[in-house]
Amino acid sequence: MRKYHLVRRADAKIQRTLIYYAIGLLVSLTIGAILLAALGINPFEYYGKMLTIGLVGNKYGYKSIEGLLKIFVPLLITSLALSLSFKMRFWNIGGEGEFLIGAIAAAIVAFNCSGLPNFVTVLLMCLAAMISSGIIGIAVAALKVKFNTNETLMTLMINYIMLYVIRYLGETKADWNFFLRADSERPIFGSFPDSAVMGGIPLGKFKLLWSVLIAIALTAIIYVYLKYTKQGYEVSVVGDSSATAKYAGMNVGKIVLRTMFISSALIGLAAALAVSAAGTISDTITNDVGWTGIIVAWLSKLSIPAVFVTSILISVLQYGCQAAATQYPAIDVNFADLLQGIILFSVLVADFAANFRIVRKEEAKNA
Amino acid sequence: MEYAIELKGITKSFGPVAANKNINLSLAKGEILALLGENGSGKTTLMNMLSGIYMPDSGSIFIDGKKVEINSPEDSGKLGIGMVHQHFKLVERFTALENIRIGMRNEGRFFHGADVRKKIEDTAAKFGFDIDLDKVVANMAVSEKQTLEILKVLCYGAKIIILDEPTAVLTVQEIDRLFAVLRKMREEGHSIIIITHKLNEVMAISDRVAILRHGEYITTVETKTADEKSLTELMVGRKITLNIERPLMEKTHPLLEIRDLTVKNDEGAIAIDHINFYIRGGEMLGVAGIAGSGQKELCEAIAGLRKIEEGQMIHEGESIVGMSPKKILEHGVSMSFIPEDRLGMGLAPSLSITDNMILKNYNESKGLFVDRKSAREEAQKVIDRLEVITPSTETPVRRLSGGNVQKILLGREIKSGPNVLITAYPVRGLDINSSYTIYNILNEEKKKGVGILFVGEDLDVMLSLCDKIMVICHGKLQGVVNADHTTKEEIGLMMTGTLNIVNKEGKTDGIAKDSAFTDEEGKA
Repeated sequence: MRKYHLVRRADAKIQRTLIYYAIGLLVSLTIGAILLAALGINPFEYYGKMLTIGLVGNKYGYKSIEGLLKIFVPLLITSLALSLSFKMRFWNIGGEGEFLIGAIAAAIVAFNCSGLPNFVTVLLMCLAAMISSGIIGIAVAALKVKFNTNETLMTLMINYIMLYVIRYLGETKADWNFFLRADSERPIFGSFPDSAVMGGIPLGKFKLLWSVLIAIALTAIIYVYLKYTKQGYEVSVVGDSSATAKYAGMNVGKIVLRTMFISSALIGLAAALAVSAAGTISDTITNDVGWTGIIVAWLSKLSIPAVFVTSILISVLQYGCQAAATQYPAIDVNFADLLQGIILFSVLVADFAANFRIVRKEEAKNA
Repeated sequence: MEYAIELKGITKSFGPVAANKNINLSLAKGEILALLGENGSGKTTLMNMLSGIYMPDSGSIFIDGKKVEINSPEDSGKLGIGMVHQHFKLVERFTALENIRIGMRNEGRFFHGADVRKKIEDTAAKFGFDIDLDKVVANMAVSEKQTLEILKVLCYGAKIIILDEPTAVLTVQEIDRLFAVLRKMREEGHSIIIITHKLNEVMAISDRVAILRHGEYITTVETKTADEKSLTELMVGRKITLNIERPLMEKTHPLLEIRDLTVKNDEGAIAIDHINFYIRGGEMLGVAGIAGSGQKELCEAIAGLRKIEEGQMIHEGESIVGMSPKKILEHGVSMSFIPEDRLGMGLAPSLSITDNMILKNYNESKGLFVDRKSAREEAQKVIDRLEVITPSTETPVRRLSGGNVQKILLGREIKSGPNVLITAYPVRGLDINSSYTIYNILNEEKKKGVGILFVGEDLDVMLSLCDKIMVICHGKLQGVVNADHTTKEEIGLMMTGTLNIVNKEGKTDGIAKDSAFTDEEGKA
């Protein structure tokens, strides 16, 4: 005899969700604390360093903020882009691949246009990245529209194809391969010329990169785009019911192509900004934003302001974990990944708990 | 008296909504009990608890006087309860025999022994089923599939059979056959619960009628002592009149003329086969046919959503063939179609009422942005005029009840001021009250001189609401009859293709004498 069953909650109260999140966070931090204690590290000290992302007592504190922002910008833009396609119920899980395409395109410009002014070079890098990523996005969307292929599989495969493309570029020593350093025997990715490195506004020692301002502006633009424009309206209708969209006289194919172009092009832009800020390219340049972006988008329930906040929180978590981990000889960056995984997993469980409840079956009182 | 089923104090809530409140219901052995109630009164929820799909929050279920727990459909089957769902649960690629065979337990794993076939054939013969066990389900007509579903639960040894709106998809003749089978089952000592909206069927088949209203059990009455009016009053909770109005209007010239129209379905087969008809202003033309006879394809073709293989569609003397859905709408032809899931076409369920209002004309406003201000005003107008019950204009449509959803859809279609209104299944799944509101809305449009094509399911309704009824069978026109000079039986025979009155007595049905077609167009 089963006494318990799961029931979806009828109402979604924000307070309850936050309380569950807090509980989830607390549970995961406790698990982390046990692991840390077992390794002989004071968990409170560790968490302190994690939350302050290595700012306190560090005379290069501004470096931490710069490092954090370098994680934050690509994650935010990618999450925004993914939210856009998810809103249309187009399951674009090819963020990694689209990001790499953009990174490679931007790097091609960077290595070959050394004579141009900084602003022009960076702009060209962004355009090249957006167009090449956008074209791949359109290609997948076109296959879906024309032949009804499964976009999840297609975008997933792009991730692997592009990962191996960039590895090939990074490991093949050849005359044509301008990606690599010419003066090294071993194959190593070269550094961009100065004209291809992102500039910014100097605030004392700290430099606020242009990319941060671009990302914030994009958040506002995409919010308005989805909420108030006709194109944004079309995206919601197609996502809700494509039969209805067709019935209303919308050109569903065109909308899908357009939205996927914008979504992938934005990811390409994120990549261009990331490589330009890093001043080089590598096969780990994505920092898994294609995957993490999916989590951000869903934790935010595809709400753009929530995507912004969630991206900040996850960036702090990522950077903080890394910053703290580097300060103890007993652990390395893998522990940071482990802790991050535990925290994200707990939050997802908490999210489930906030939406469902377990009901105990009662005997009838008047039976 | 010994009961096959007794429910005591059954309560089931979904979140804050109580779908069933303290329900007490009994089913005697060897009786047919009709379960009657408006939409959302909790009939299906209650039956789903008997078939193990939901579990009650509180209350007890007694089968043959013994208290039982039903935690899964399997438990339900073991207790001898069989449910025939509205949407059939059959494997399309399998034959009838295989479909029955896969659910049988204790019969070995691999082979269809001759004894299994024998057993099924015996059961079929006992209850008077006419079924070909080797026919593949995909090739079966709807009524055959239903027969198979019923035979299936009988073969699994069900003594209590629940039928959820079994007659919705059948013709008059098929309903008679179904009822004959049900009576036979009753003679054999089976107990039957039948859920239906149609009062005449309740009167014809049931021994007793149990009535639910807003999730509460009202009463159970002997069918002998009841009539349609008293049952309706119990169901709705107040007195209402049951006459559908049919205002007689002066008919104007043909607004929409269809000639030799041929349309294919999604699979590429002919769905509409050289059909001719026309609609005049101030006239309501019903379209009757068994489900899937080409109704959907016809509506989509007229609305410009489906490619036309052959033929002409003339609206006020101008061809609308090949026009985009938007152009056709601007021309004054509006189409609303309520599919089986009731939300799939015409409305975006997660979007607000406001956003659904502008679905067809969001592009008309100038600039980049959607004009939500006037959309909100329009939404408010529709809500006021059609008395839609909703917390606000910003409520997502899927949160509304079925009747209100359909009012929103119809309200939007009417607001654009069409002169031809195509409406398919506008009262699908609605209760009596909401249905009458919809009929009134349609009649008002008709009084304004709008020509209406009403694709319907319920022949009784169509006979009293429509001026003329066009019958189609497998995409072919079987004839157009005057609603005053026909019978349900005649239409039933036409629906199954037995009777065809096109070209009878030299009259060419479906082509208007004062057609807006010129001869050249007619020949083209």
